[in-house]
Amino acid sequence: MRGKNSLERNLKIFKETFIANAKEFLRDRGALFWMLAFPIIFTVIFGIVFSGGGEISFTVGVVKGNDSPATNQIVESLKQIKTFQLEVGSKEEEMKALEEGNRSLVLILPELSFSELGRGKESRVELYYDATRQNTNQTLISAVKQVFAEMERGISESPKLFAVESRPVQSEQLTNFDYILPGILAMSLMQLGLFGVFQFLNLREKGVLRGLAVTPLPRSAFFESEVLLRLLTAMVQTLLIVVIGKLLFDVRLVGSPLVIAGLVMIGAMTFISMGYMVASFAKTLESGRNIIQLIQFPMMFLSGIFFPIDFMPTYIKPVVKAIPLTYLGDALRQTMVGAPPSHSMGVNLAVLAGWLVVSSVLAIRFWRWE
Amino acid sequence: MATSIEVRNLKKYYGSVKAVDGISFSVGAGTIFGMLGPNGAGKTTTIETIIGLLDKTDGEIDVLGLDPDGDREELKKRIGVQLQNPSLFPRLTVRETINLFASFYPQPLSAEEAIDRVGLSESEGKRVESLSGGQRHRLAVALAMVSNGEIVFLDEPTTGLDPQARRRLWEVIRDLKEEGVTVFLTTHYMDEAQTLCGKLVIIDRGKIIAQGSPGYLIDKYFQERAVEFPDPGLNEEEKKALEGADLSKRVSYEEGDGMEGNLVILYSEDVTETISKAMDFGREVGKPIDGLTVRQPTLEDVFLKLTGRRIRE
Repeated sequence: MRGKNSLERNLKIFKETFIANAKEFLRDRGALFWMLAFPIIFTVIFGIVFSGGGEISFTVGVVKGNDSPATNQIVESLKQIKTFQLEVGSKEEEMKALEEGNRSLVLILPELSFSELGRGKESRVELYYDATRQNTNQTLISAVKQVFAEMERGISESPKLFAVESRPVQSEQLTNFDYILPGILAMSLMQLGLFGVFQFLNLREKGVLRGLAVTPLPRSAFFESEVLLRLLTAMVQTLLIVVIGKLLFDVRLVGSPLVIAGLVMIGAMTFISMGYMVASFAKTLESGRNIIQLIQFPMMFLSGIFFPIDFMPTYIKPVVKAIPLTYLGDALRQTMVGAPPSHSMGVNLAVLAGWLVVSSVLAIRFWRWE
Repeated sequence: MATSIEVRNLKKYYGSVKAVDGISFSVGAGTIFGMLGPNGAGKTTTIETIIGLLDKTDGEIDVLGLDPDGDREELKKRIGVQLQNPSLFPRLTVRETINLFASFYPQPLSAEEAIDRVGLSESEGKRVESLSGGQRHRLAVALAMVSNGEIVFLDEPTTGLDPQARRRLWEVIRDLKEEGVTVFLTTHYMDEAQTLCGKLVIIDRGKIIAQGSPGYLIDKYFQERAVEFPDPGLNEEEKKALEGADLSKRVSYEEGDGMEGNLVILYSEDVTETISKAMDFGREVGKPIDGLTVRQPTLEDVFLKLTGRRIRE
């Protein structure tokens, strides 16, 4: 009987504390902005920026040496390349456009005629490109070479021995936004956990927690109600981001909602416990704020949630490999949009769980209510 | 008479700082007990140790038969506490705050009643962050009362209140006593302690320097009366002459606060003689004394006599 009563009483205390926490949160415009408006704004901005569908095109300038059928056939062949947008002009115009960054490549064709080509006369084609765009140049140049090789083979009538057909598989079907959206979700969960602890730090610093300490409120009830509120907020964030991504930008969604929800919970728990860990180390709200900025900023950029980790220099990779956001981002990407995994799901979950355990242990060990 | 709180040789040290240095007292059930002393005397530390918020360095504490160290959780259910400079959830309303706190206690007072008692009915929908200092203070007292505890601890409940609000709060505290609640109150206001408390301890620098009923303390430490008159502009030499003139037991000067001028206080056991001698003195130095009054000594006077300092220094 007594046990039942005390359970009822504890439930009531938990409920009232949760409601108080929720009201306090919902009436705090700053917190609401970071937790709800910011993820929405982020999703919309990235949605707009990357809604091009991932089609990349290069503007290629062509300077004709003459207007012969041979020259025109080359121009036509180049036009066949989908990713090329061809501009024909004078040498002066095209070189200027290249210098101004408006051309990826400029081809200068000599005077050509089929009869001379047929006689086997070598013609020199000059190819100018922007030396600063190293990644794209190799691809472009080989594409151009391909066109000339085809033409040469046609003229010399040698048989074609290999036909290489490239067929895009899976990852090619992902738009850039598909890649980004799970990252936005992962980032929001990180901010929820890390920034969410500001409220706790604030109440602690102002002495509200001390005021509660003189009442029979079990401290664990206060703490648990805070965690529950954050987890619910995480769910709302997820819904907002996914719904906006789907409705406005038609993001690809393949994963089961339950598995996604599970990952969101694990991710949120990990970052919530990291937040409390910082709260345990930080004496004041101010120092807590600084530590969290110091953690969250590099995590956001080094975790590969916004661009693939392969872009990053090797010396930074150990850092990338330690960041929990990397794994949450990867896990969400695999599940939500079916992106090719960087790590296996087991590794992702293990690293997240590891962070969760370590930061919980440290938070409890160095916990301070005052 | 049953005892609510029994404290024996309580010590609370912070390193070499002796915040509370071996104090003993007992609080009778259903009484208003006052702890009086200047800021930093150890009042708050004493309260916070008694309610189990701080760990004591040494000594014995018994509250309602419980040990604040071992039975902390049980004790919290049976007492109401108002801390000094209370902080609350800024965005909750008065009513929401009281409801929240009420939910913590097994048999709380109703929120209406607590709000009504401290006179916050008109502000019950206001958020805590928009309350005035006085309202916030009354809310804190309401939170201590909503516990419906057997003992209510009030740490400087009237600091920062205007005179009207203070009187109202005194009524609230008297009502608590009427209901049989024990009130433990700290203050640095003499008049407050004198009007409200049945028993008082005067604490200074962590030690109790006197205890008893206000009347007893005054009788014991003071058979004198205070003869006061506005300073007619005495210079240092004249002040010395006044002190040496053998017209009173002691002379004290009180600086005015701008509204009122400086006061000269003569403590005397023979008021008639002191008055006539004082008037003569004024005429001799050519600075006639005007507006002379005689009053009962207050606890302020007792504190001054015991410590040589004023309470609000």
